[in-house]
Formats: sequence, structure tokens, C-alpha cells
Amino acid sequence: MFTGASYMKHIDMFKKIVSNPAEYAQSWKQETRGKVIGHFCSYTPEELITAADALPFRILSSGATISKAGAFLQAYSCSLVRGALEDALTGRLDFLDGTVFPHTCDSIQRLSDIWRMNTNYGFHADIIMPVKLDTESAEQYMFAVIHKFRKDLEAALGVRITDAMLEKAVRTSNKARKNLEALYEIRKTSPEKIKSSDLHTILKASMVMDRSRLADLLDEVVKSVEQEGPSSRLPSPKRLVLTGGLCSMPDIYDIIESSGAAVVWDEFCIGAKYFEGRIDETGDLEKNIARRYMNRIVCPAKHTGIYSRGVRLVEKVRESKADGVIFLFLKFCDPHAFDYPYMKDMLENEGIPSMLFEIEEQTSSGGQLKTRCEAFIEML
Amino acid sequence: MITAGIDVGSISAKAAIMQDRKLLGASVILTGYNVQNAGRQVLDRVLSELNLSASRIDKIVATGYGRNSIGFADKAVTEITCHAAGGFFLNPEIRSIIDIGGQDSKAIVIDKDGRVRDFSMNDKCAAGTGRFLEVMARALEVDLDAFGELSLRAENTASISSLCTVFAESEVISLISKGAKRENIIAGIHASIASRVMAMAKRIGISPPVMMTGGVAKNIGVVKALEEKLDMPVIVSEHAQVNGAIGAALIASTV
Amino acid sequence: MRAIMAAYYMEAKTPKEKTGKQIAWITSGGPVEPLHVMDVIPIYPENYGAMIGASKMGAGLCEKAEQMGYSSDLCSYARADIASATVNGGPIGGLPAPDMLICCNNICGTVLKWYEVQARYFNVPLFILDTPVCHTEFNPDMKRYVTAQIREYITFLEKTCGKAFDYDRMKEVGKLSVQAQALWQQILDTTMNRPAPMTCFDAFFHLAMIVTLRGTQVVLDFYESLLHEMKDRIAQGIGMVPEEKYRLIWDNIPVWYRLRWLSDKFAAHSACLVADTYTSGWCSSMKYLDENDFLGSLAEMYTRIFLNTGTGLMADNIIELVEKYGADGVVFHSNRSCKPYSLGQYDIQRLIQERTGIPTLMIEADMTDERYFSESQIETRIDAFIEMLK
Repeated sequence: MFTGASYMKHIDMFKKIVSNPAEYAQSWKQETRGKVIGHFCSYTPEELITAADALPFRILSSGATISKAGAFLQAYSCSLVRGALEDALTGRLDFLDGTVFPHTCDSIQRLSDIWRMNTNYGFHADIIMPVKLDTESAEQYMFAVIHKFRKDLEAALGVRITDAMLEKAVRTSNKARKNLEALYEIRKTSPEKIKSSDLHTILKASMVMDRSRLADLLDEVVKSVEQEGPSSRLPSPKRLVLTGGLCSMPDIYDIIESSGAAVVWDEFCIGAKYFEGRIDETGDLEKNIARRYMNRIVCPAKHTGIYSRGVRLVEKVRESKADGVIFLFLKFCDPHAFDYPYMKDMLENEGIPSMLFEIEEQTSSGGQLKTRCEAFIEML
Repeated sequence: MITAGIDVGSISAKAAIMQDRKLLGASVILTGYNVQNAGRQVLDRVLSELNLSASRIDKIVATGYGRNSIGFADKAVTEITCHAAGGFFLNPEIRSIIDIGGQDSKAIVIDKDGRVRDFSMNDKCAAGTGRFLEVMARALEVDLDAFGELSLRAENTASISSLCTVFAESEVISLISKGAKRENIIAGIHASIASRVMAMAKRIGISPPVMMTGGVAKNIGVVKALEEKLDMPVIVSEHAQVNGAIGAALIASTV
Repeated sequence: MRAIMAAYYMEAKTPKEKTGKQIAWITSGGPVEPLHVMDVIPIYPENYGAMIGASKMGAGLCEKAEQMGYSSDLCSYARADIASATVNGGPIGGLPAPDMLICCNNICGTVLKWYEVQARYFNVPLFILDTPVCHTEFNPDMKRYVTAQIREYITFLEKTCGKAFDYDRMKEVGKLSVQAQALWQQILDTTMNRPAPMTCFDAFFHLAMIVTLRGTQVVLDFYESLLHEMKDRIAQGIGMVPEEKYRLIWDNIPVWYRLRWLSDKFAAHSACLVADTYTSGWCSSMKYLDENDFLGSLAEMYTRIFLNTGTGLMADNIIELVEKYGADGVVFHSNRSCKPYSLGQYDIQRLIQERTGIPTLMIEADMTDERYFSESQIETRIDAFIEMLK
């Protein structure tokens, strides 16, 4: 496995941030006197937040046991929503200066209302993006939504977001994304060069770190991964593509790797959905930002055609020469659960085996996941 | 070549010895709380029953919940792959296997060469597992071993609709207080477990012939309920409970 | 009423060659009026989901959907319908196949996914009316977007039906729709009377007409006579619940397979469910409608339905009902199938207790999947609640 010294230094830093993102955000605030804006979705137009000199902070449930949130949200909502609310109610997110809610699914929609009523982080914005992303009127509306969000941010943060600030933010964002994609490409071609659990850590860190520093840092990380030669590993591991929403089970990467397989691509929200697609740096930046969110890999809570996700998944499997697919999403995630049967069928028709794992709030032992993964890999 | 398969479940541990694709013998004990010991003990037990020395064993494969704790095994393989291998060995005609154990249940679909094509598991809740039956046996104050026989004498199948074991128990108690016959309630319990298992099985395209393995296969009532739900005959081998160990022993010969 | 609904379904199931009419499947919050203008028969899979629940066929069909790979946590209407389509299930042996699908997501995001499934299954054109959520406001950007989509909807219908849209006929259908909504409101208003001439369980039953046949004359005729009947009962002082003692509001979609049981249970306690948020949903957006510009105001009317607003506004809605009907308590159905309706109920419950001081009851179940109803637990809760009201 990869042991380059500079790479390890970077990974250790990313791991530290990911193990306590709140602490990172707090020290960032102290250092820069800037504001931290929390959000729940890869559709959040982060570039606007960065342009306002604030820190876009992806909120992921800390995994704490649900006690307070149970009085606000029924058990049939997903662990992201319940967990995030639990964190808010128990003071774990007190460093936030505001939260923004891009419209995605029914649960997030209601979380926004519950959050607005029961938390007090100062700034609360709903970014009601269109659900349809494949029509002209939707695009026009998206332009309006991005523009409104810019205005809302300006008013809330007492900042004027100039075109120059926006341009800088867009360039930073593009650079970071380009580098994250490069890491994914390296893993796709040579999975022995980078551990999937490390890549997962890097992605998670990328969603809470100062974006300028991150973009520059990632340049170094890519170089250090490229320059290190392949290590001794099991020859031709079984190659897997992971698809789904949130991967709140980072254990899965090690489980897969210790079973003689390798993850060669994923389509998670904390994965390809986050970095895919660049923003055109010339012309009307607001519109270009809108276009990136219209055109990047689609989330099942949005609509770009009835076969989009299935077709794309099959393409990705072929392109990465994968042997199988693992569907991984949260229990009670309706959009993903509705898409699963047809996507599985499409894969089957192409002779691509797949397995489903639903992540639950109280998934205690890795034992169950381990057994399923191993059995699946034994099948390939 | 003589091989051994050890299947350590959360409740019982099984071991099987195979020689040149012939089953020499098998044994079952309770696992207790020390998984590693249980593996050792059940292997020793079957060896002594066969008057075979441990040194004669060429390879050992461990499977089941405790498979990774059996240090002396040559390899750990999941019970899915092992049940498929065992079932196919006992009857090469079968194309699907349903295993209902103490704490989980699984459905496996295999191809004509006995390889696993797809599988699904219920490992998250008690409904659809042996535990469900235990809870109900306590609620009815009936010996679990008598369930099969009693259900065959049912005139009607009581309806138990709850998905959750705890609420289903509540329904059973309600039925008892309304004077429903034990036999009918037990038939209802069997129908309920079969329903859960069937949903899981149909999801992966279960097709006949179907074999049932695992401890619950000894309950003729559940077997019949499953046959009814699936609308397919269900084969139960006399070696149902040790099927996983047999499969593990077979796989050991390829290690 | 049964006769009218039967005739409606029978016409829909008559082969196209005979009726010359196409069939559209449409969501309960979708704009049906343009369909009547085009002589397209509207079919409501959600209404069928209710019928499936009422016939106690929900569990079986939901199980079938689970076998197809659909999680048991998904909306039971969707699961039942997706399964029903493949086996011609439910009480009328399946719905007639659609020629087109009209999906408006003002009620939830689930319908988007459900209709995508059916678009793949039936291989017919799908039109989505995307109504942005109005957490606290309905702004001009939203209005522009939805209005543009109404135009797209008309174009879609013209293309799918192969004929031009008759705007004059739209005006007529629009008027009929407005009249029906006004009539339905009047019927619901009759329960302000003490004693109430009907309960919300009756309203659940009579609801089918305003949902499925809104914009036609037959609805008006039926509801006129129903209103007349209610006024008669009021004049004679006849209450649906003998010796009405407690007046309650119901929130959320009914528990379709236990309506009789619930109705009897509450009646036995002399409790009358006088109003509910569900049935009033079909006339509460009238204030946004401009009778003289039906098509132009469609956008706002369909976007601002109460389910498409924030929890705060939903709480206001219930408090208005409490005051209007003189309610002593509120019964919440925490319906695991419907997240937009159910998530946030705990806050609404608290707001109601704070602002009105009246007690509330929470019942956990599902609207159509009877496997999620625990009778003895719910019975205990209802009994305890009534004791609180005494």
C-alpha cells in the first residue's frame, strides 16, 4: 500500500479534520473571523458562499445516538436528517452562523421547517431549486434561484459579492474539483495507488475546509499520489463501482479491500456528485454556476429523464471495467429506493452483478455488512 | 483428501467431514459465548465420533457468524457461498436455497453449476427468523418443537399482519384472549414467517426446485407454509441443519 | 355516489375504440381541468390507493412491490399501484392503462419517482409540473416558472391528443371547477353546526368526487343534493354522532382500511370528528384563484396548496379549523407513508397546544398498508385521549 511520506502527512491532516470537523470550523472562524454556513446537499451553490468569504460546511450526522431529535422527527426519516437535527439540538453545531437548504427530497424539505423553528443559527435560507433539470423554463428558474441566493447571502452576511469575488470562488472551486476528479481517475486506472478509505477522507475534508487552501493542497496531493509507484498488492482485485447517496459507513472500503476487491468509482453525494462538472469561467458567472448544477450527475430527487441514472451507471461500469456494483444508501431514502429496482434490472440485463446495502441509524456490527460484501465478492 | 467444514452460528456450531465428495459425518453443539472454543469443540466432537485423528484433515474452511475467529481454519468463507455449495451437493437439481436460522434468514439463487447468482438477507430484524418462533412459543406457552405438528392440525390460519415481532406477539396475545385455537394461531405464525421470507426470496427471482436449510427446516409447519406462499415444492434434506458445514468442507477441497 | 364512481371507472375501462377518449393518470394535486377540456379521462392512482386500502388489499399488493425490489418503507400508495399495474390488482381488477402521465409534485417528491416508474413500465409520455415549495413565501420567480410550465402543459396535451386546446371551453371548465370547490367548502362548513350532520369519515367517502370529477357538471349535481341533505339534517337537529360530546379535528390522510373501526370507536366515546385537513385541501386554495382568469391563476392555486407550504403555515391551518369548528381536540395520524404530511407534526402538535390549550392525540399507522396498524396499542391511546378530554 501507498506509503509516501508527504502523502501520509496530508492524509493524517485530512483525517484529523474529518474526525472533528467542528473543531476545524471553530479554529477557522477564530483565525479568519469569517462565518460558517452549513448545508446538507451537493446541490448547494458553494461558490456563492465562498465568494462571500464564508466557509461552506457540509453537515453530516455525527452518528450520536438519537435522543432529542426523536421529539421532532419520527423514526421513519433517514439518519442524516435525524442525526443532523440531533447534533443541532445538542449544541454540536453551535459554530454555525447560518444554514442553507437546497430543495432535494421531502425529508430535507421538512427538516428545513423544523430547523427554522427549533434552532437559532442566525441565517436560514431555502434555495428552492427546480426538481426538473431538463427544460428551458427550469433553467431560467434556476438562474433566478442562484441570483436570489446571492442576494440573500449578501443581506445576511452584510457583504457585497462582487463579480471579481465570484470569479475567484469559481476558479477555486474548479481547481479543487479538477484535482478530486484526478484522484478518482488515478484510482480507476490503478486502484493500488490510493486506498479508498483515504480518498473518502479527502472528499469529506474537502467539504468543510477552506476552499482556497484546499485547492492548492490538492495539487500537492495529486502529485504525491502520481509519483509514488504501485505497491505490492493482490493481482487483479475484483473491481467494484459503488452507487448511492451518502456513504456514512466508511468501514465499507476496508471491508471491500480486505476481501480482495477494489472500489474503482463511486457516485456518492460525498463522491462523484460533488466534483463532477466544471463551471465556465467566462461570461455570466451566475448562469454558469446554475448550468453546472443543472448538468452534473443527477440526484434521484431530481429529474432529467426516466433512464438517466441507469444509463449512466452502466456506462460508468463499462468505462471503469468493473466486475460488479454495490448500491449503498440510507434506510428511508425514498428517491434512491425508488430507482434501485430499475437500475438493478438494467445492470442484470448487461450481465453486471449487484448488491444492495441499506444503511441504518443503528447499524451496529460491521459483521452484517462484512458478510454481505464478502459473499458478494465471492460471487463475482 | 479429507476436509472439514465448521459453521459457527450465534446459537449453534456445526462441523462436517468430507472425503472425496462423500459425507463421513457431522455434529452439532451449542455455541455458547466463546466462538473460537465452539469451533474447536464441534470439530473435535465429530472427529471423535468418526474415530478420526485431526492430523488426517487436509484443509479446514470456517463459515458462519464466527468464521473469522477460527484461527486454525485455512480459510473463511461466508455462509451464503457455503450453503449454496452444500445444497447443490445434496441435490444438484436445486436452483434456490432458503436458509432460516436462529437470528437471520437468507435466500440464495444458484446456477446450474452451483455457483451463487444472487442472494438476499434479512439480518436486521427478528421477524422471519427462528427468534420470531421462539418469542411466539413463549407467548403461547407451547414447546417450540411441537409447533410443526400442531400447525398441521389447524382448521384455519389466523391472520397475523404485523411486520414487527413485538407487535406480532401483541396480536398473538390478543388472539389467545379472544379464544382462538392454538393450532390456528401457530399456523398464522408460520404463515407470517413464510410471508417475510417469501418477499425476500422473490426479490431475487427465486425459482424451483427450492431447498430449505437451517435449523427451522425441521419445522414441518414452516416448510408447508413456505410451499404455499411460494407456490413451489420445498425440499428439505435430512442434513438441513449442517448444510453450511458441508458446503464449507466441500469448498475446503479447492483451497 | 357509488353509482357515479362506478360509471366513471367503467367508462375509463371501456376500450378507446368505443369511447374515443384517451386516459391520463394524474396526481391528486395535479391540474385536472385542462384534461376535461381535451376530453381526456383522468384517473387517480392515489384514489385507487385509497380504494385498495379500504378493500384491505393494501398489504398483499405492497408485499408484491417488495418482491419487485421496492423498499417496504416507501409510500404505500406507490407500492400498491406499482404492484397493481403488473397484476391488474385492487378492487376493480386494475386501472386502465394510461396514454399519458401527469405528475405535479406539489404534494410530495414521491410522486415524481412513482410516475417515473410508471413511465418506464407503460412507456408513455410523462409531463411533470414542478411546483417549488413555499416554505414561507410564494415569490415572482416561482410564479413565472410554474406559469411557463402551465403553457408547456397545454402544448404537451395538444401534442399527445393531436388536437388544439379550446380556450373557450377552458373558461367553462374553470367555472365548473370553481363552483365545485365552493360547493365542497359549503358542505364541509355544515359541520360547524352543533351537532354536526356528518363526520370527517363521511367526508373521506364523498371526497372522491371533487378529486376525480372536478370541472364537470355531475359533481355539482351530486354535491348540491348532498348539501341539501346536510342542511335538512341541521334543520332537524340530527347529528351523525348521537349525543355529540367532543368535537375533534383529524390531520393527515385517513387510515383507509380502518375507517369503520375508527369511526365506531370515536362514536362510542361520543366524539365527533367534525373537520380535517385532508378533505379541506380540495378547496383551501380557492383564495388564489381568479375565476375570470382560471388558466392564468392555475399556477398560484396549485403551488400554494397547504401541503406545499411550511410547517408553520400548516399549523396555522389547523388552528383556524379548531377555531372555526369549535374543536376540543386534534387527532394526528402519523402516517409513515407520507413524509411531507407527517414530518413536522410534532412541532404542529406543540404549537396547537401552546396557542389553543387543547389536547392532541398522535396515532401511528399507515394509510393503505394494514401491516402497520397495531390495534391494541391504538385503542389504548384513543381511550386515554378521551379520558383527557373529560
